[in-house]
Amino acid sequence: MRVRVKDICFFSLCLMAAATAISLLFIIIGYILWHGAPAINFAFLTEGSRDFGAAGGVFYQTTGTVLLMFTAGLIALPIALGTVLFSHVYLGPSYKKTTDLFIYALNGVPTIIFGLLGYIIIGEGLHLGVSWVTGSIILAVMILPSMAVSIDEALSAMPHKYRDAALVLGLGRWHLIRTLLLPRSLPGVLTGLFLGLARAAGETAAIMFTATAFSGVGLPRGISEPVATLQTHILVLAGEATNPRALTNAWGAALILVTLVLALSLTAMFIRRQVRMEAEI
Amino acid sequence: MFHLNKDRAAGIVLGTSFLITMALALFILAFLLAESLPVLREEGLSFITGQVWYVAGDIYGALPMIYGTLAVTLLALIIALPLGIGSAVITSEILTGRTRHIVKSLMEMLAAIPGVVYGLIGIALLTTSVRDLFGLMDGNTIFTAGLLLGIMILPTIMTLSDDAMRSLPGELRAQGRVLGLSHGQTIRRVVLPGSIKGITGAVLLGVSRAMGETISVMLVIGSLDRLPTPIYNVFTSGQSITSKLGREGAEGLGLGLQWSALAGLGLMLFISVMALTFTGNIIRGGVRPKKSKNHEVTG
Repeated sequence: MRVRVKDICFFSLCLMAAATAISLLFIIIGYILWHGAPAINFAFLTEGSRDFGAAGGVFYQTTGTVLLMFTAGLIALPIALGTVLFSHVYLGPSYKKTTDLFIYALNGVPTIIFGLLGYIIIGEGLHLGVSWVTGSIILAVMILPSMAVSIDEALSAMPHKYRDAALVLGLGRWHLIRTLLLPRSLPGVLTGLFLGLARAAGETAAIMFTATAFSGVGLPRGISEPVATLQTHILVLAGEATNPRALTNAWGAALILVTLVLALSLTAMFIRRQVRMEAEI
Repeated sequence: MFHLNKDRAAGIVLGTSFLITMALALFILAFLLAESLPVLREEGLSFITGQVWYVAGDIYGALPMIYGTLAVTLLALIIALPLGIGSAVITSEILTGRTRHIVKSLMEMLAAIPGVVYGLIGIALLTTSVRDLFGLMDGNTIFTAGLLLGIMILPTIMTLSDDAMRSLPGELRAQGRVLGLSHGQTIRRVVLPGSIKGITGAVLLGVSRAMGETISVMLVIGSLDRLPTPIYNVFTSGQSITSKLGREGAEGLGLGLQWSALAGLGLMLFISVMALTFTGNIIRGGVRPKKSKNHEVTG
C-alpha cells in the first residue's frame, strides 16, 4: 500500500509540473493576444510610427525585422551548407566530434557579446557603422550554428548504402555532392533556414546597438543605413511603462513579432517531422 | 582530370566556409581577451572583487554584476529544475504518440518566444505581482529576473531531459517491472538514475542559456550596481553581467577603459557560458543514441 501512495504522490507532482509548464504557454500567448489584439488594425500595420512610437503604426519596424532576418539568412545559409558538406565529404568521421564542439560553442555564445564585438569589428573596423548590413552580418554569425546542425542532422540520417553505391561507382567528390548530398540535404537546409530566420527575427541584444535606430526611420535607402525593427521598438516602448498608449503599441508590436516567429518555428518543426517520419519508414 | 579539378575547387570553396565557422568562436575569445587586457592590468584582481563601478572615476569593480548573474541563474534553476524534470517524466514515461508530440511541440513554442517579449510580460505582469505579493517598493528585483529566466529556460531543461529519458532502452523498464517494481518505482529507481547524465547535461545547457540571456533580465532586474544587504536579499534591485552590458554597451562602445571593462565583463560571461556548454554537450554526448558513423568518403 505504501508503494501505491508514494506512486500517487510522485505522479501527481509530475502531473502538476507538466500542467504548470503547459499553462505557462497558454497564459503567455493569451496575455499577448489580450493586450496586443486591441492595437492591431489596418492603420497599425500599414503606417509609420509617430510621437516616438506612442502613436501610429509599425509598418517600418515590421519591414525592418523581415529585411534583417532575410539578409542574415542569405549570408549564413551558404556558409553553413559549405561547412557541413566539407566536414562530410572532405574530412573523416574522426573530425566529427571536434567540428561539432566548435559549432556548439558558437551556438552557445551569449548574443549580447555578438552585439558588442560586432559593432567594434564590423561597424567600426570595416566602417559599416550602425546599419542594415552590420546587423545582418552579426545575425548571420548568430544563426550559422543552428543552420549547420539542422543540415548535419539531415545528412547524418542518410543510409550508408547510398554513399557506398556512389563510392563503388567511383564518383568524384564534387559529383557526389551535386547528385547525392545536395538533394539529400534539402530538408535540413529548409529546417535550418526557418529555424535561423525565427532566431534572427526574435533577437534583440545582438542588434540593438549595431543595426537599429529608433525614431524618424522609414525604409532604409541602402544597406549602409540603419533599420527600425519590431524587437528594438518593443524594447524602447517597454521602457515607457507609464505611458498607456506607448504600452498598447508595444503589445501590438509584440503580437506581430510572436506571430512571425512562431509561424517560422512551426514551419521548421513541421518539415523536420516529415523528414523523421520518412527516415523511420 | 576534369573532374579532379572540380573536386579541388569545391574543396577550396567548402573548406573556406568550414574554416570561417570553426574560427569564429576562437576569434571571439581572442578578441575579448585582447580588449579586456587594459582593465585587467589597471584593476588587477579588484576587477573581480571590487564593488564599485564608477565610470567618471575610471573605477571598475564587477562583483555586483557577478553576484547578480549567479543569483538570477540559481533562482532560475530552482524554478525550472523541478518543473522541467517533472514534466519530462510525464512526456517520456506516461504520454505516447500523438499527445506526447503535441506537448513537446508546445514546449518548443514556449522556447521560441523572443526574449524582448518575455521582458515586456515581465514588466507588465511580474514586476507588479512581485511588488504587491512581497510588499516591496519596487518590483524590479533580482528575484523577478530569476523568476522570468526560470520560465524561459524551462523548455530547454524539459525537452532535453525528455530526450535523455527516452534514449534509455525499453528493456530496462521491462526488467524493473518484472522484478516487481511499480511503474512509479521503475521511474524513480531505474529511469531517472539511468538518465542522470543526460539530465545533468540538459541542466547545464539550461543554466548557460540563463546566464547569457540579456534583454528580459535587463528590463526587470532594476539595474542597480550594488550588492544587496544582507547578501541573500534577492528582493532588491541588482545588476547582472548581461544587463550591465545591455545598459552601458551603447555609451561605452570602443571608448577607453570603460570599453575594456565591458569587454572584461563579456570575457567572464563568455568563459563561464562556454565551460557550461562544453561540459553539458560532452556529458550529453555520452547518452545520445549512437548516430550512424558513415561520414567518411574516400577516393
